[in-house]
Amino acid sequence: MTDRRRINGPSGGTRPPVFASSIKSTTTATERPQRQRQPNELRKIFLKTGLIPSASGSSYLEFEHSASLSAARALPKSLIPPSSSLKLACTVHGPKPLPRSATFSPNLVLTTHVKYAPFAARKRKGHIRDASERDLGVHLETALRGVIVAERWPKSGLDITITILEAEDDRWWGDAPDSHDAAWGMMNVLAGCITAASAAIADARIDCLDLVAGGVAAVVVDESVDGGEPSTPRLMLDTDPAEHRSLLSACVVAYMPARDEITELWLKGDNSKASVGTDDKSLSYETLIDGAVDAARGAHSVLAEAVRESAERLAGLETGYST
Amino acid sequence: MTAQRQASSASQIPHLSPAELSYLYTSLSLPGTPIRPDGRSPTQFRPLSAETDILPGTNGSARVGFADGTQAIVGVKAEVERTVLGVQALSQAEQQEYAEGNEGADGGAGAKQGSTSGQGSWVQMCIEIPGFRDDDALPVFLSEMMREPLVESVSGGEKDGDGDEGGMVGGLKGRLVINRRWHWRLYIDVLLLSQPLSYPLPLLSLTTHLALLATKLPKLKSKGEEDPFFDDDWNAAEYLYPRVRTTRASIPGSIHKVRPPVTLLVISVAENIVFDPSREEIAVADTVLAISITYDTGSNCLKLLSIRTVDPPSRLTQPSVPNSENVATLGSTAAAEASAIINPSTGEEEVSGVWRPRRGGVKRATIARMVKMVLEKGGVGEEVLDGLEGVEVG
Repeated sequence: MTDRRRINGPSGGTRPPVFASSIKSTTTATERPQRQRQPNELRKIFLKTGLIPSASGSSYLEFEHSASLSAARALPKSLIPPSSSLKLACTVHGPKPLPRSATFSPNLVLTTHVKYAPFAARKRKGHIRDASERDLGVHLETALRGVIVAERWPKSGLDITITILEAEDDRWWGDAPDSHDAAWGMMNVLAGCITAASAAIADARIDCLDLVAGGVAAVVVDESVDGGEPSTPRLMLDTDPAEHRSLLSACVVAYMPARDEITELWLKGDNSKASVGTDDKSLSYETLIDGAVDAARGAHSVLAEAVRESAERLAGLETGYST
Repeated sequence: MTAQRQASSASQIPHLSPAELSYLYTSLSLPGTPIRPDGRSPTQFRPLSAETDILPGTNGSARVGFADGTQAIVGVKAEVERTVLGVQALSQAEQQEYAEGNEGADGGAGAKQGSTSGQGSWVQMCIEIPGFRDDDALPVFLSEMMREPLVESVSGGEKDGDGDEGGMVGGLKGRLVINRRWHWRLYIDVLLLSQPLSYPLPLLSLTTHLALLATKLPKLKSKGEEDPFFDDDWNAAEYLYPRVRTTRASIPGSIHKVRPPVTLLVISVAENIVFDPSREEIAVADTVLAISITYDTGSNCLKLLSIRTVDPPSRLTQPSVPNSENVATLGSTAAAEASAIINPSTGEEEVSGVWRPRRGGVKRATIARMVKMVLEKGGVGEEVLDGLEGVEVG
């Protein structure tokens, strides 16, 4: 469906002109960002609740810049940023009564809405949600519906809206689109959405079984240091797809640490050739899921801290009223 | 409208009373031997009828009908298209050529690298389900769920023992490449003919699998980097998924060495795992997983391509009230009889015969058990793929 109500920019991207003579083939090869973190080290997460006063709950989440991006900021060589980091805002409206026309529902009716800002990715997104955004919305709904204690709010609705201000790249911008063209960045975005939505729901004081956190792990193949043979596949937590030559498979989970349960699992990719963690190749998916759960545990500690801040803010408000 | 929106990620929920749901759940969760409403064993599939090559206007097509009356038709159409390299990739290649020309020849292999593997966007899938708009969540979710393993599966025919025969380098994506400048674009159109009585994923996946097996592409006559030129004899056309002569006596004719993936729907109810659930069974499921598998060409065993959780519709059902808490039955003798027990699998207090939808998620051990049942040798996955091989194609 095309958007006919607004005057839209060109669908394809444009690039600032670069003279070919000014580019050495060696410089383009070394520009790919390198992962500076340990394989099991996560990026730092900034998570803050209650930034949007008109919503009953809200949160803002941001991932740490990669080392190459901060280096490029300090010493710009090109107008194109080497990598991007996730930034998103989540609002929760409700619980509110369902419209009069709606049919009876014994449970809280959850609606999730994930939208990329037009400027979020390198390629502009339209104002109308496309298939990938709808897909993300369904994933998020599955992740949250298992956590919310829905029967405590009959005949009510809960709207969760996520605006992605900056998305993760699916691959390094300089790679041809066919090198590993699956939407790997979407999986990082989903993990961020889950963590942020969980914080916003807690900020809206809606009963949950546990704080659900999202985590990503991937099996990656990197170029070895001397740029020759690709190395053996390795498991990495919280991967930035721009930093790797190819991802074999990746997995997102929404995980509840207190119950040790997964409410949402999305695993894709073919890692049957790579034996990671175990000798048995058919079990490598279990290692991948465990890796994603470890990443989610890391995100959970940030989440718990953000929710504690939110509770303290509320306690401060209440004492302010009473005096 | 709201009811449909709620049910968007799962199937339409049947209108079952809490007592019926509780009955179903109890019989499905019997330890060891679940009793299914239609008397099947936990790993048994519903009987189905299948035929291929039913639409003369397509490159490949299939129809599958389940015994309960649900039917799906899939048509696969292929078009030749010019390969458009992205602005960045193109200029990258130009820069590289420029650099090479400038600094003398240091290996022209790098410039050609981009063309050997295809792009996932060359496979388009469109699903039409009666009662749903094409931008509703269910068709979008289903088509992503089925397209993902299809383009993801890069099993290939790495040039192993028996040479290149029957192999597909780079999987389906690689098969669609004609040369550096041209490629095939594949349109897979899935049409559900009946109302979605049960969650339509297994039906649509099996139909798509058969249609892709039956898909033929015209034989290429041109060579190398020429503009593509095809043999106009349809009998000379080659299968999209190439075939080899079979060595097994059980299946007549030729078999496929590489096969498209199949997505299976698996549910868990308490400790039991049930395959190919009907609508009533999904309505009480604790967990619903969609697991995509295919044969690994090298080792001839199954491999996993993707897993997705599907929102179990039991979370939308109304819980019932035990007699001890019900005002209408308070003080009656029946109230005293029901006693609360702790469910071992959920750890929640339950009164038997009282429906309470499952809260929370799924344990990792349960996921591992479900995947193992699909993948193991002689397991359900093998049975399904072999059964599909038995369908006469072409």
